[in-house]
Parts: sequence; C-alpha cells; structure tokens
Amino acid sequence: MNVVGTRTLLSKEVRRFLKVPGQTVLSPLISTTLYFVVFGYTLGARQTDLEGVPYIRFIVPGLVFLGIANNAFLNSSSSLFITKIQGTLVDLLVAPLGPMELLIAFIVGAMVRGLLVGLLTWGVALFFTGMPSLHWGATIFFLLTASYVFSMLGLLAGLWAEKFEQINFFPTFFMLPLTFLGGVFYSVDKLPEPFRTLSLFNPVVHMVEGLRYGMLGLAHGQVAFGAALLLVLTVITTAVAYALLKSGYKLKV
Amino acid sequence: MPETPVLDIAHLTKRFPKLVALEDVSLQIPQGEIFALLGPNGAGKTTLIGAVCGLVKKTSGTVRIFGHDLETDPLPPRYFVGLVPQEVNFDPFFTVRQVLAFQAGFFGKKADPARIEELLAALDLTSKGDTITRTLSGGMKRRLLIAKALVHRPKLVFLDEPTAGVDVELRRDLWSYVRKLKAEGTTVVLTTHYLEEAEELADRIGIIDKGRLLLVEEKSALMARLGERRLEVRFGQTQTALPAKLQEQGMVLSADQMGASFIERHGTAKAPALLGQLYAANMEIAEVSLKAAKLEDVLLRVLQNGGGAEVSA
Ligand SMILES: Nc1ncnc2c1ncn2[C@@H]1O[C@H](COP(=O)(O)OP(=O)(O)OP(=O)(O)O)[C@@H](O)[C@H]1O
Ligand SMILES: [Mg+2]
Repeated sequence: MNVVGTRTLLSKEVRRFLKVPGQTVLSPLISTTLYFVVFGYTLGARQTDLEGVPYIRFIVPGLVFLGIANNAFLNSSSSLFITKIQGTLVDLLVAPLGPMELLIAFIVGAMVRGLLVGLLTWGVALFFTGMPSLHWGATIFFLLTASYVFSMLGLLAGLWAEKFEQINFFPTFFMLPLTFLGGVFYSVDKLPEPFRTLSLFNPVVHMVEGLRYGMLGLAHGQVAFGAALLLVLTVITTAVAYALLKSGYKLKV
Repeated sequence: MPETPVLDIAHLTKRFPKLVALEDVSLQIPQGEIFALLGPNGAGKTTLIGAVCGLVKKTSGTVRIFGHDLETDPLPPRYFVGLVPQEVNFDPFFTVRQVLAFQAGFFGKKADPARIEELLAALDLTSKGDTITRTLSGGMKRRLLIAKALVHRPKLVFLDEPTAGVDVELRRDLWSYVRKLKAEGTTVVLTTHYLEEAEELADRIGIIDKGRLLLVEEKSALMARLGERRLEVRFGQTQTALPAKLQEQGMVLSADQMGASFIERHGTAKAPALLGQLYAANMEIAEVSLKAAKLEDVLLRVLQNGGGAEVSA
C-alpha cells in the first residue's frame, strides 16, 4: 500500500475543490438553503405537521442528504472525468497507485466535499429550527454511508463517461428523479398505493428516512432495513469500482 | 547479458480493434544504457512505452521491469520508472512547484523542496515555479513534463519525444542532463524524430516500423555497417579520366570533369585512402569535402528495406 501516494492524491483532491469554493461549496449551500427557505417557509406555513414535527424541520434531513449526494457524486465524477480529458490521468497511471490507492483518494476526497456541504446545510437549518433530539449513531452512520455510496457512483460515472454530455447524463436523468422521488420533501408513508410500495425500492428513500430517524428521532419500521441496504450498496459499489479500476476499464487503452 | 536487464520485453503484441500496433516485439535493455527507439509516425513507439508504463493493456507477451513481471507484480517497479509522455498535459489548478510536489508524493516520496528546486534550475523553470501550469508556454509545459518524470529519481526513464518544441539551447542542456543521468546509472529509453539527438546520445538503436522491431544494434556498429560517408573532390583543372585503380574502387568522375566523388560504405575502401591515392597520382586538388555518415540515411535505408536480409545483422 502506497500510503504517501494515497495521502498526496487525497490532499490534491480536497485542495482541488477548495480552490473554487464558490462553485463547489458555496453555490450548492445556497441552493439547498433556498430550497429550505422556499419549501420550508412558504409551504410549511400551510402544511400541517408531518409525523408530529413542523414541516420546516421535517425537510431538513432530506436537504442535508441532497447536499451530500449531489456534491459527493459531482466531485468524484468530475474530478476523474477531467483527469481523463486533460490527460493528467497519465500522471496517476505511471505512479505506483493501484486500484486501492485510487479508490481511497477519490472516494474520501468526494466524501469530504459532500459532507462539508451537507453539514453546512445542516448548520444553516439548525439556525432556523433549533437543535432537535438526535440519534448520533444513526446520524453518523447514514451520513457516512450515503456520502460513500454517492462518491462511488460518481467515480463509476466518471470512469464510464467519455464526453461532457455523458457526464451530465447522470445528475439529470438519474440523480434528480431518484432524489426528488426519494421523499426529501414529503413523507413516503403518506403516498397512496402502489406508489408507497414502489418507493421502497428507491434506495434514496431509505437514506433519507435513515437520516430523518437519526436527525429528528422519527422512528420508522424500515430503519434497520435501510441500514442493511446501505451496507449492501457500499459493498456492491466498492466491488464494482475496484474491479473496473483493476482492469483498467476506460483508463488504459 | 549477465545481470538481469532493467527492461525485458518478450513477444509483446498489442492489437487494437482495427490494427496491430505491436507485433511480437522482444527487447532487452541493460542497466545504464541510453536506448533510442526510432521509427516513422505510427510505428508503435508510444504504444510500446505505454505497455511498459502501465498506460496500455497488452494483448499478449510479457514485460519485466527490474525482474518483476508486470502481469503479476504491476506496482513495485513503478516506484523506479519515470515517463515523459509525448502528449503535453497540464493541470488547470496548481502551480509548477505544487504539481512537482504532488508527483513526487504519488511515488511515495515525502516532500523534498531541494529536489524540486534542483530540477527547476536544471530545466530553467525556476522563475516560473509559482505560475499556474496552464499559463506556461508550450515548450515550458514540456520542460515541466520532464521535471515531473524525474522528480522521484527514477532508475528507468522513458523520454517520448522529450525535445519536441523545446528551444535549441535547452535541447543541448537536456542532452547533457541525460548524459548526467546515465553517469549516475540511470537507464534511458528515448524516442525522437530529431535523429541528431539519437546520434548524440544513444548507445544502442532500435528501429521499429508498423509495430515490428526491425533491428536493434549498437549505434557505432550500425553506423559502421550501414552509414555512408560521401567524399567530394574538386580538381584545379579538367581531367579526362580518373586513374583505373581509383575507378575500380568506385570513385567516379563528375559530369563537368572538374571533380570526383566516392561513397564509402561497409566493405568499400576508405575515403582517406582514396584521397591519398589521388595525391599520389599527382592530381591537382582544389577542394575536398567529406560528409559524415548520417543516422537519418541509415534509418531511411532500413525502413525502405523493411528489415530485409541486406540490413539485418
Ligand atoms: N487508442 C488507440 N486506439 C486505436 N489505435 C491506436 C490507439 N493508440 C494508437 N493507435 C494506433 O497504433 C499505432 C501506433 O501508434 P503509436 O502512437 O505507438 O505510434 P508512434 O510510433 O508513437 O508514432 P509518433 O511518432 O507519431 O508518435 C498507430 O497506427 C496508431 O494510430
Ligand atoms: Mg509516439
């Protein structure tokens, strides 16, 4: 294991997005905050409490999730994609950086950005809503696994994409529907059948519900199932990404 | 070769969907050698280097670096290999010094500012150290590539057209730097279309075309075997004929009968000996020129023959 190499690449990944904080941290923070203000205040005023909490509180975990998922995904996908496009991939391939080293650096780098945006969003939200009661363990577990899974998905997208058009494909056609149908702004339990049951096949629902359990203390039957599902997703995405990196898929000719 | 060669390529083949870029290439390079790989555009030079440096997935064959088979042991040799890629790349975010520090780190090296300053000085980039790499000139970007390839003190260095677009002065500096690397025991594999460069630097020459390695030979032996020197003589007055002895040896009178020429090849008489005979025959000589053998001509002859019977050792 090339520890110094991994640490160097990780620090480069983090410094890369910190060089343009307006684009990578501030802008997503502003957009999630706007969601919060618009949906929370305007709708929230007319919404009755959901599951016993005011609507403005209810949507916080989902918004934190959006910040994490979008930014973790964007970071690993665009970083790897740009590395391929501008040819600096050569610098990584000639170095003693194996699949493990590349995975750790790209994934942790992306998680740092996702969690940074997510936690800042949460900070802004707390300013409006005050500190709720928490399940710390569940909160940390779902924050970490959600950011991990989306970093991995971003890495896979970055590996696969060869054109700019393709790299934009995922956020628009995959991430956006999945997250908006993922119960960020509503309670899945309130959906009519068959949508309620269908929703349970959307992993995002379980991530959001898990965070809602952790951050608001709202108990759901499926939290344990959600946790198990996330662990399974972690394992699957890791295995696929590792195998692809090891084979040189779309990295080597 | 008594010791393990630094680089040992056996029956290496690389097929792309539509063409064979490398066909059954075998090559061994001993430690401390400067090896020049020559051939026309599309010959397979970059592909060969890529297969060794982990950029190209081979179709078949084996590559060993310092005795490690890349198939089973891809990472350990990487610590000691450096590559100046043919394609210039640059990072839009970081400065020259930062890029060099990152590259050293990728190779497991802790920060070593002295090494970075040494390379910046050697490549005349010191004043650009804190410049974002995107804003360097083309030649400077290439010099940065060279610095990046050397920052971790590799023992085997691949220079894929390192001096393309680099100015004359720096090219000379680079040549002496490469000689210094060799003196320190570094093995260098070089591709270039400036044949003067290969002539200056190389111990051995490999010629590749259409994915096939046509020949590998010591530079001096190759030049002696296939090099042609041209002797041109101008006389003080018109000559009706050359002495028979000189004609037999291949010297010919020019059309204006004011001069004679001779092409010295492997197996012919030597040009100075013919010159001596001209003097001995009391012919009045006004001007003499001897054009040295050129690697360029050797390369062209080998390529035209396609490595056929006449040129292969
Ligand atoms: N990724 C690729 N896919 C398909 N064919 C390729 C690829 N890369 C190279 N080739 C082909 O392989 C052959 C060898 O290319 P290579 O780059 O090794 O040549 P070269 O000897 O380095 O040439 P040059 O002197 O122009 O740099 C060429 O015909 C090239 O078109
Ligand atoms: Mg080339």
